[in-house]
Amino acid sequence: MFLSFTATLTKAWSFFLILWLTSCLYVSGEYHEHETEVKDFFQRNGSSTHTNNWAVLVCSSRYWFNYRHMSNALGMYRTVKRLGIPDSNIILMLADDSACNSRNKFPASVYANAGRNLDLYGSNIEVDYRGYEVTVENFLRVLTGRLPESVPRSKRLLSDSNSNIFVYMTGHGGNEFLKFQDSEEVSAHDIADAFEQMWQGGRYNEIFFMIDTCQANTMYSKFYSPNILATGSSLEGENSYSYENDHDLGVSVIDSYTHYVLEFMENVNKTSRLTMGDLFTSYNVPKIASHPGIRSDLFPRPLGGGEALHDYGRGSGWRHPGEWVGREQEKSKKGSEALITDFFGGVVGVDIEEDTSDAHHTEASSDSVPKERTKAEKKGVKASPYLAQRTTKTRSWINLKELRAWSSFLIVGLLVGLVWARQS
Amino acid sequence: MSKRVVSAPHDLTTSSGFILPALVAARLALALLQPFDLTHDHHLSSPLTSYANLQEGIYLFKQDIDPYSGGIVRHSPLYLTLFTTILPNSRFSAALLWTLCDALGAYAMMNIYRARQGIKTSSRDGLVAAMYLLNPYLFLPSLALSTSSIENALVLLSIMFASQRKPSQTLLVYAFLLHVSLSSFLFLAPLLLLLISEPFSHLASPRAFSGDFKKLPPLLGEFAVCFISLTMASTLISGGFSWIGQTWGASLTLPDLTPNVGVWWYFFTEMFDHFRPFFLMVFSVHLLIYIAPICIKFQYDMLYAIFLLAGILGTFKAFPTLSDPGLFLSMISLFPETYPYLRYPIVTSLLHLHAALLLPLFHHLWLSQGTGNANFFYASTLVFACANGAAVIDCVWAGLRIAIGEEKEGIVIAQE
Amino acid sequence: MDNNWRIRLRRRFRPEGDPNLVRVRRRKAIVSAFSRRVTFLRLILLLVGYIWMVALPYPQLGRGIYIDENALQPGQVNTYWGWGDVHNSDRYLDDLERLRDSNATSEQRAQYLDTEFRKIGLFSSTQTYQFTSQDINGTNTYAILSSPRAPGVEAMIISASWLSRIDDGNGALNLRGVATVLALAKFLKQYSLWAKDLVFVVSDGYLDGMQAWLSAYHGTIQSNLEAERLEMSSGVVWTALNIDYPGHSFSHLGVFYEGLNGRLPNQDLMNSFHVICSRMGVPVVLYDHLDPRSYPDRRKELDWLPEWLPGALRNDPEVRAYAYNARNVWRHVVHQASGRGSGVHGLFHQFRIDAFTMFALPATGPHGFHALGRVVESTLRTSNNLLERLHASFFFYIMTAPNRFMKIGNFLPSAVLISVAMMFTGLKEWSDSGWTQETLRNAEKSTETQAPGWTRRPRPVLRALCIMISSHLLGVATYLLMNSGWDGQNSIGGMLVLTMACIFAFGVSAVCSKSDRGGAAPIASVLKALNLCFASTIISATTVLNFSLAASLAVFLGIPLSVSSTSKNLPLRASKFSLYLFLSLGWVLKHERLNWNWEIMGVWLLPFLWIVYFPLVLQAGIVCLL
Repeated sequence: MFLSFTATLTKAWSFFLILWLTSCLYVSGEYHEHETEVKDFFQRNGSSTHTNNWAVLVCSSRYWFNYRHMSNALGMYRTVKRLGIPDSNIILMLADDSACNSRNKFPASVYANAGRNLDLYGSNIEVDYRGYEVTVENFLRVLTGRLPESVPRSKRLLSDSNSNIFVYMTGHGGNEFLKFQDSEEVSAHDIADAFEQMWQGGRYNEIFFMIDTCQANTMYSKFYSPNILATGSSLEGENSYSYENDHDLGVSVIDSYTHYVLEFMENVNKTSRLTMGDLFTSYNVPKIASHPGIRSDLFPRPLGGGEALHDYGRGSGWRHPGEWVGREQEKSKKGSEALITDFFGGVVGVDIEEDTSDAHHTEASSDSVPKERTKAEKKGVKASPYLAQRTTKTRSWINLKELRAWSSFLIVGLLVGLVWARQS
Repeated sequence: MSKRVVSAPHDLTTSSGFILPALVAARLALALLQPFDLTHDHHLSSPLTSYANLQEGIYLFKQDIDPYSGGIVRHSPLYLTLFTTILPNSRFSAALLWTLCDALGAYAMMNIYRARQGIKTSSRDGLVAAMYLLNPYLFLPSLALSTSSIENALVLLSIMFASQRKPSQTLLVYAFLLHVSLSSFLFLAPLLLLLISEPFSHLASPRAFSGDFKKLPPLLGEFAVCFISLTMASTLISGGFSWIGQTWGASLTLPDLTPNVGVWWYFFTEMFDHFRPFFLMVFSVHLLIYIAPICIKFQYDMLYAIFLLAGILGTFKAFPTLSDPGLFLSMISLFPETYPYLRYPIVTSLLHLHAALLLPLFHHLWLSQGTGNANFFYASTLVFACANGAAVIDCVWAGLRIAIGEEKEGIVIAQE
Repeated sequence: MDNNWRIRLRRRFRPEGDPNLVRVRRRKAIVSAFSRRVTFLRLILLLVGYIWMVALPYPQLGRGIYIDENALQPGQVNTYWGWGDVHNSDRYLDDLERLRDSNATSEQRAQYLDTEFRKIGLFSSTQTYQFTSQDINGTNTYAILSSPRAPGVEAMIISASWLSRIDDGNGALNLRGVATVLALAKFLKQYSLWAKDLVFVVSDGYLDGMQAWLSAYHGTIQSNLEAERLEMSSGVVWTALNIDYPGHSFSHLGVFYEGLNGRLPNQDLMNSFHVICSRMGVPVVLYDHLDPRSYPDRRKELDWLPEWLPGALRNDPEVRAYAYNARNVWRHVVHQASGRGSGVHGLFHQFRIDAFTMFALPATGPHGFHALGRVVESTLRTSNNLLERLHASFFFYIMTAPNRFMKIGNFLPSAVLISVAMMFTGLKEWSDSGWTQETLRNAEKSTETQAPGWTRRPRPVLRALCIMISSHLLGVATYLLMNSGWDGQNSIGGMLVLTMACIFAFGVSAVCSKSDRGGAAPIASVLKALNLCFASTIISATTVLNFSLAASLAVFLGIPLSVSSTSKNLPLRASKFSLYLFLSLGWVLKHERLNWNWEIMGVWLLPFLWIVYFPLVLQAGIVCLL
């Protein structure tokens, strides 16, 4: 009898299971229809499938003599902003504030060239993470979206599966690590894992990763998540160099690689059809003084750039063969070429779908929010009586302190007396 | 100083009648004069024994704040018990008290020596006392009012009572000692064994352990009673159990990396945090593994085993001060029979001389003059550890070698 | 083949037979091999040590200077010190010369400087001081330019003393140096980029004024100094530049860097200065040593190589490089070992401030205020960039040439080797003293077949230690005696000390010869062993603190202490003893100066000589007497 009961139970379960699965299929099918519709809309000009653009710009080093790293990041900030990404979609992390350093001869400004033509620190700068807030932990939390509830929206990377993200990092680095703040470092594995988490969580459509540091190419060598295009400033075992000094500031104002990338970017505007391949072919090794590398094996779309890109890293001036991981796959790639504007600017704020906003909500852990809040409230409830307790406790101390001291002494005294008495 | 220790000064045999009082008086005069303020010297007091921290604890207690809620006070609550009730708490009384502790220590050394020899009074009494009172490694921490002087006095008192076969006193004093310094756990086994055996020198004639193990359980029980009562007293005065982590926990988890003369601090400043628990365990267990072999090998002479363990503790303790190795060096004077069998006393002495010069010098280079860094001071503590280690090893050798007797022509001892 | 080799190796280290026996044999073999060769070994060590010392200036032992600290960024700024500022300097100089010609007192000078600083718009004040033990007094002036955006936290000092170092503070005035400081104060005030306060100090006298000012600044006024408290203060001082410009114009900037008690400034600071000067086209030299290779026409006056050397050797480039470096190293050793430092900058070192003097080498040209100002401006910008203390590894070096230096590993072993040789000598003496050969006694019993046996004998360690301790106590006593008001009567004091030392030595030898017990080791050999071991320890410990002092000790103690021995012949003993006495007290001729250094500046060489060096040599003398 017991057996027959279990059998019915199993049957019932399987029935429900099947029901659920079919409904799931139906729903996803419907979703798929939606997506193709959207895709068609956004691909009407033959471009990427993304609906919004984000940028994460990180300068990880402190100190006055690392002025150039701050201007690297600020230069990049200016460019992405110029190409159409608004401050709300840019996460700017600056580990130091060279503009307000007391050694700065030109207070409240940061320049990226020796002539001081353009103040990168003008009137419209929004630094999201500054000074000691720039830590490895915060950086990884921003990427993966696991930030405390109290963090404002402006400091969050609120991207979704339709976002194209540009990640730029600069600082002092080495083989597979980048130093943060002179005290800690992020490793290539950390970033790779963070990107994988982002992929699993549907936090991006495509990522363009650019890094300017010593041995920069090692930093993207560990990536394994799809749809990532990466480029770095120098080979393993090679240093990246600064571009020029300003003799009134007394420090180098920008790094060579970033300088030439920015110079190239000046030719790009919002409607530009220049491709990533064009950017890569613009790399000029004798000028940059290091060997930039590309990694495109995880990136499904062709890079463009025409014939010139096929010879990447083999031209005159390259002392070592340039590193391009994914050169073989390039010929077999189909689809639209990767435009620079796919990552720099382009589409922003097309956040029209209700679905995505819902996704946002879940992304920001809508479930956990109330939980956390109650937790916090509980904590608060606990905390305040704790203080009260403490004060009352303190009051009781006044009465009991002497008593406790003496009774404690009494125990010790008794013990000593006892031993003494026993002996004699 | 250590030169004198190892070189058998047989010719200095003055009666102890006036030496002890005279030395104590001289010490007292210096302590009262306080020519230098040494209380913050890194060599002389560790975070666990510093006088300033003790004062902080007493002050906090008097201000109705739990002294163990912060990270500064790491002294046993028993000190609070004593200093907030019957003991006066001023610089003057502290000078008196600390000198008294040293005098007690010297007195205990004298009595241990007498008990070992089995005589009421001996011609070497004065020398033994002087070895304790004139040892700069003991003298300077006492001037700096480091509570390690009190710990040393407690160690010697418990040994004295044990050699006089007074179990209750021994266990009480030892329970007190274990409370104020957890690493004295090393002495538990040999002290109990000494209580059930005898303090006389059997180094020259080894034999199996002579005591009766049946006497052990009641002793252990009594010790437990003492220890638990003191724990109660501590808990009572501190109003909770937070003191346990702050006092005993400190010597196991090393929360304070203030430089000292030991080998732990630098090692743990350089260590990655995720290795910390493992190496804390290794360092702590390392101290414990010496107990059994030494107690077994020297089962015929527990006093010598205690002496060797004191040397090991002085070398490898978590928060040592100069007084920890100082105790070991002074205790050498209790075992004159081993002197002729020491293998390289001059090398040990020279190592100690080097360490004694280099420790303050490198400390100065690092923290005052600023031309050296922490590695300098650490190097000098390594020299110091080598010197202490050499002394312990040589004493182990001499203690074993004595059983074989004078070396005959053409015969060589290959291994003990 | 391979196997064979392995078996042979194993046989070499683990031969057949009883392992214990093998071990004992091996140990004995090692010990006897060592003890047979110990004399040879220590000779080699001594020889290598001394040769190494002589070889220190050899160019190949050094390396080129480099900048270790990234933050410094030397020479990367435009300098704006211009001819207008040079004009200002000249005007200040005119005023100062007028003051000099009118024989103005210290107060008047200070008043003038104070007014000028105030005119510039700086907070300025004066400080009077007086050393009570010596008849020294004066008035310092100082001014503070607060950092606009980080005031009162950290500071840099630009200083000039009233007297120049050119004749060791005996009267030549540093007027141009003072004028430069004034003009710099006016000029540097224009900038808002100082991250540290700038403190301008014009100290009176040569060394005394700055000592008074610095002690007052750091609140450590010594007992023999009555100095006014400073009205203003600033933050922690990290670096200081001292300007010394005694001539009309200069050809080179000389760097003087040795501080009090042998401390050296961080090398990065001087290296930055060197980089900056070479960018500005101002040549740098060490001290006032011009390189004779650059001035063939002035060779006679500049070259250290004597005329009588054969021409081939004298013109050999290696030899000439060696001679030039040797001159620098020798100067360094003298400055460092004396503990007095090489100028006003040395005083800063007591307070952990890295400082050096830029000495404008008097010449007929081509440089003047213009070059000096620019160099100082750029150097200040560089030290302004400093974010944290300079690296600890850069404090131990010897500059062999303006752009070459020696790392610690290349010079330290020389003194340590000598100290090790002394230690070996001492240990051999020690082990010899513990054994005696019993051949004589056995021979009388006519057992000729028996081999001479070795027996142990007790060593009178305690008595030897007593002699050592009492001789050091004698050192303390003589030190107290000589420093308790024997001013100007050094000859009497010296005679007294000499008598005391003699009485002590003869007394000790008399006591020891009386109480000599049979069978024990002779006290002379035990004393010698302990004496050598102690001296060796002192030398090796001093090497890190003050290498030049350690090297001098190694030279003065190394061989003399090793060869001390007693003899049967009384006159020989006495003459040996008097030699040691001379060695131990010869330096008393310089007592007055050492005493000045000790009393005014706290140079501990004098107590060190009395309490450590003199007793050590005296002990060796006693060994000869016993």
